Amino acid sequence: MTTPLVPNLTLHWDDADSHTLTGYQRHGGYSALKKAFTAGADGVIQIVKDSGLRGRGGAGFPTGMKWGFVPQNDGKPHYLVVNADESEPGACKDIPLMIANPHSLVEGVIISSFAIRANHAFIYIRGETPHPIRRVRAAVAAAYQAGLLGKNIQGSGFDLDVVVHSGAGAYICGEETALLDSLEGRRGQPRLKPPFPAVAGLYASPTVINNAETIASVPAIINNGADWYKSYGTEKSPGIKLFAVSGHVKRPGIYEAPLGITMRELITYAGGMKSDLPLKFWIPGGSSVPMLTADHLDIPLTYEDMAAAGTMLGTGTPMVFDTSTSVVKAVIRWIEFYKHESCGKCTPCREGTYWMVDILKRMEKGKAQLSDMDLLVDISAQISGRSFCALGDAAATPFPAALKYFKEEFEEVIKMAGAQA
Amino acid sequence: MVEIPQVIRAFGTTFLNMFKKPITEQYPEEKHLYPPKPRFHGRHQLNRYADGLEKCIGCELCAWACPADAIYVEGEENTDEERFSPGERFGKVYQINYLRCIMCGLCIEACPTRALTMTNEFELADDERGKLIYEKSDLLAPLLPGMAPAPHSMVEGFTDRDYYSGKVTGATPKQIEEAGN
Amino acid sequence: MTILANSNQPKSNDNDLITAVIDGIAVRVPKGTLAIRAAEMLGIEIPRFCDHPALSPVAACRMCLVEIEGMPKPQPSCAITLTEGMQVKTQNSSQVASSAQEGVMEFLLLNHPLDCPTCDKGGECPLQNQAMSNGRADSRFEGTKRNFQKAININAQVLLDRERCVSCARCTRFADEIAGDPSLELLERGAKQQVGVADDQPFESYYSGNTVQICPVGALTSAAYRFRARPFDLVSSESVCEHCASGCSLRTDSRRGKVLRRLAGDDSEVNEEWNCDKGRFAFRHLMQDRITTPLVREHGELRPASWPEAIRYAAEGLRNQRAAVLAGGRLTLEDAYAYSRFARVALGTNNVDFRNRTASSEEQDFLTNHVAGTGLGVTYQDLEDAQVVVVIGFEPEEESPIIMLRLRKAVRNKTLKVIAIDSANSLGFKKLNADLRLTKPGNESAAISELIKDLQDQNSIILVGERLASSHGAFSATVAVAEKVGARIGWVPRRAGERAAVDAGLLPNLLPAGRKVFEPRDREVVASAWGVSVEHIPTKPGLTQLEIISSAVQGEIDAIVTAGVDINDVANHAAFAAALNKTFVVSLENRASSVIEFADVVLPVGAITERAGTFVDWEGRLRTFDAVMQESLALTDARVLHLIAIELGHTFKDDAKVTSLRSSYSSLGAVSKPGTMNLVAASTTKTGLVLAGWHHLLDNGSLQAGEPHLAATARAVVAKVSSETAQANGLISGNRVIVRSKLGAITLPLEISEVAPETIWLPLNSEGSSVAMQLQIDIGAEVSVSDGGAI
Repeated sequence: MTTPLVPNLTLHWDDADSHTLTGYQRHGGYSALKKAFTAGADGVIQIVKDSGLRGRGGAGFPTGMKWGFVPQNDGKPHYLVVNADESEPGACKDIPLMIANPHSLVEGVIISSFAIRANHAFIYIRGETPHPIRRVRAAVAAAYQAGLLGKNIQGSGFDLDVVVHSGAGAYICGEETALLDSLEGRRGQPRLKPPFPAVAGLYASPTVINNAETIASVPAIINNGADWYKSYGTEKSPGIKLFAVSGHVKRPGIYEAPLGITMRELITYAGGMKSDLPLKFWIPGGSSVPMLTADHLDIPLTYEDMAAAGTMLGTGTPMVFDTSTSVVKAVIRWIEFYKHESCGKCTPCREGTYWMVDILKRMEKGKAQLSDMDLLVDISAQISGRSFCALGDAAATPFPAALKYFKEEFEEVIKMAGAQA
Repeated sequence: MVEIPQVIRAFGTTFLNMFKKPITEQYPEEKHLYPPKPRFHGRHQLNRYADGLEKCIGCELCAWACPADAIYVEGEENTDEERFSPGERFGKVYQINYLRCIMCGLCIEACPTRALTMTNEFELADDERGKLIYEKSDLLAPLLPGMAPAPHSMVEGFTDRDYYSGKVTGATPKQIEEAGN
Repeated sequence: MTILANSNQPKSNDNDLITAVIDGIAVRVPKGTLAIRAAEMLGIEIPRFCDHPALSPVAACRMCLVEIEGMPKPQPSCAITLTEGMQVKTQNSSQVASSAQEGVMEFLLLNHPLDCPTCDKGGECPLQNQAMSNGRADSRFEGTKRNFQKAININAQVLLDRERCVSCARCTRFADEIAGDPSLELLERGAKQQVGVADDQPFESYYSGNTVQICPVGALTSAAYRFRARPFDLVSSESVCEHCASGCSLRTDSRRGKVLRRLAGDDSEVNEEWNCDKGRFAFRHLMQDRITTPLVREHGELRPASWPEAIRYAAEGLRNQRAAVLAGGRLTLEDAYAYSRFARVALGTNNVDFRNRTASSEEQDFLTNHVAGTGLGVTYQDLEDAQVVVVIGFEPEEESPIIMLRLRKAVRNKTLKVIAIDSANSLGFKKLNADLRLTKPGNESAAISELIKDLQDQNSIILVGERLASSHGAFSATVAVAEKVGARIGWVPRRAGERAAVDAGLLPNLLPAGRKVFEPRDREVVASAWGVSVEHIPTKPGLTQLEIISSAVQGEIDAIVTAGVDINDVANHAAFAAALNKTFVVSLENRASSVIEFADVVLPVGAITERAGTFVDWEGRLRTFDAVMQESLALTDARVLHLIAIELGHTFKDDAKVTSLRSSYSSLGAVSKPGTMNLVAASTTKTGLVLAGWHHLLDNGSLQAGEPHLAATARAVVAKVSSETAQANGLISGNRVIVRSKLGAITLPLEISEVAPETIWLPLNSEGSSVAMQLQIDIGAEVSVSDGGAI
């Protein structure tokens, strides 16, 4: 049995004007907004809770529950912050979404802000990608023009202002508290938790931070109901997800499918392996999650099943590598990325990535010893679980995971270099 | 058996020794005949790098190690105008009080730059207490050929690390000129 | 066990205590206590770098990781607040914790240069120590360490070596949270992360030296101490700062009789653990220009003399003369007490005044009734606990920098509002977010009277500065308002010895401990404490400093005993010089001063490091200290006066040693309630352009001599006016302005700023702006201004 694709967010991406207000409204855009206003703020939160929507940014935290943490009637302003700082190696789903269908995000922002009683929302978009920034800015402007943003939206009495903020090129700003610091005009470095953003986030006020895909999924849920959304996916991982398949496949791209689809199916949808070489390894959701091999192609892509397989669904953006890839080089590139992006706040991540790259570069140049593999495992262990935020944990992931399946290849590289010398 | 009187027996020892080679060392007349052992702990010396810059960085670790509190050091910062050692710091004041020193050599072990070593010179007697406090000028190693006396700049393009790893082999004309001035 | 609440810990009562277990030992602590603090109380040392009790936690260095039962990962104990029943396992009982700490230490040493022998921190370095206690024996790193240019200046007196930095962010947090001068920041990211300042903006802070002290490695070092010594050859002594009335506890490190550095002492009730750069770096005056032997004047020239000769010479010059004592505001309590006694008994006069500055009879009345002998009054903690603090004629950052830190702490906690009545805005007022009421000098009393509506039903404190003496009616208005709203008053003088001088009775109407000259009962008590008969205490009213000077000029005073007085501090310095010229002058000094050229006898006394004593800070708190140089043979002022008194035929109950004077003073007790001040009405409102100003913390003060690095961090010397005043007087911003009095002129660059109307603000004693010497007027006096052309 093959799992069918379910185009929802991607349904009209082929339209020439999919990114415009008219294009969006032609297919019923902004109709969820009226339903949301009718349902009331608590009603919206309930629907989202019932739908089982989980955060699409990587951690998979239930969205409705997150909204429920925001204290009500506390006299403080509330904020919605959309995390669209998509910079994970391999992840490319929010950016196409914002390019092709920015209004789904804007509508989601309005509904979500309404639910959490926020009158200010911020969309924080990765600075290196000007195109989605332009598209979302245009969409926000159009929404203002159409009375969908601003004061007393559609006579509901609800006011909302949306600011589209361009990041300044730091992976760490995808970490939610670093994003808040960056948004406040400081250096983007993660904050100490507690207090959690739901209690004291942006400008020390209750703040909800959601991934762009999560927010963009909300209008459809409001429109079609929680049961509709729950009918897709599995019991614990319900719903539809954008799977951005990249790497050695014939047709890399975004495939919108229910959770629980398998990698084998996705590769089939993507036209099979490029150059028809066999698959060597793949990563379910960005470089921060441990790799899997061909043995794991039939595991359903859900939060739970991935965890059981020793990895994570992450952003749900699988990278596929065939046998032409050197796993050693892949690991070096990833860790170099983390070294480059380490914010410097905590010691394990700052110094540990520096050291790992130092050893891996040596390995690349053929000057490593077999004992360096143990050292790298040790360094990874010294970073993992001891760094300030998840960036350190992510940096500690690739090497031990690669070693689990490809120890011989590392040994071979080291020995071969030794022989050459 | 007839006993030899005690007194004659005693003279026998004297008599036998008259034919033995004397072991007395004729110090100081013949001291060149009796050099100290190579590892003898004698007077200290403050060494130089091959271009004449001083090795001492004024870190005071020798003074710290000294069990007799015989060493006094004051550090100072090298400037571009006046450089005595490679790197940031040099020893401005360096004194060893030989009335206190017990020649144990712990200072030598403590020295991180091998600036302080011990010579075999052991003639450390004098007639005035003040004279036995040796100053930096008394302790500095003599200038060997190829060295220019500090202060002068470092060899161009070399770091203090290069000095430490022995990459400097002698004073450059620029350094000699500076030292001359 | 229970942790006692101090200023850094949440206040609590028994109901708020929770019990947690650390390494198997149960500990009862207030809610909100951090695990690392509780461990400290148990004597369990958890290694740390970024943690500092006075700074907000960041949990950046990860050195203090501990295992907490129920948590999957090791947690930073510096950021974990204990909860009821929490089980914490430190490196002492947990393999997880100890291996985490070892790992972090290995990481920290990765990029740390091996230059401990050249590093100033070597020997007292938390990184060295904790590498020994919690690190691996060897390094597994074989790569290249990151390189930065070696020491760079972040300001003139603090150097930064970025290679040594462990990015703990203590300095940046100090700058932001404590000092409020946040130009020090972490820059770049990853292993390239570094502390830095903007290219054109050095770390301008009066508190920058504290960053050197809290740096857990040798990344921040001070220019003054650079490569000077090692901790093992320093003798550390507790001491008290002599620069201002804040009363900071200090640690003075000396070697072979020379002070090499000073650090802030740890006193939670006073300076917490901070001090200002002046207190930290200005100590060369202790060794510079010292007078080493007594000098006597012969044929118009001073020549060295023996002590017996000089004492005899002084005594002969003073015997049966109409004498006066001018003892400036830098004396210890014991010395001030001795001067007070010497004047009364040995010289038979009440002509004694310590105020070598703007002074008024209204101020004297205020000091007599509200300050003298009152003991500990408003405290630092009171400032922190108050709802409103009003500062009048007092700029906290420039004139008592530790008060500024304490006020700022409360302001940051959003528990305190500061109201300022002053002539101009300042960085300090801005950092306190002060409600500034710009007031033309002389018009303060009206502004003060309006405070009633702000202070009604508030826990409020009014701090008045010595500058208020120049404003007629201001002290009276303050007392009236305070009585009406129940506010407490704190008097904050600028110099360290002024409060002690008031307490010791160095005023014409006062005897020690607030006893009054004109009260027969008070005279008896004092006479018995001194061991003299009551007739020996004169009843004839004495003269103030101004009166002494004018009397001397008119030939009505024959001899003057001076100590710690600089004639250039007062506007009438020409008359002062004439007075000294005309009289027999006995000068007790430790270094060359402006008085010496007029002195007939100079008697050298010990510097503050060479003797014990007590300063009384603005709170009225006794700040007792011991000699730093224990082996010094220098005499105290009190001993020298004692010798002269004996020569004059007077003896006292005690031997004038520091300890005996101290107990003699304390036997007098304290004043139980304030006296009644004679309230005066303000004079008519001032018209015309008047002079305002205050002393910059770092200026031409004589105790800052010989400190080039410190002087380079002084604030810009500019004249300030409001834009309206500039317009009205044809002044142009950025041009020079010429400020004229009848006797002189000052030319300075002009800055348009927030200044009271019809007022021009000048720093009082900075380079190129010595108001007393150049203009010879006090603040509040009328001046004329004109544009001085482009710079």
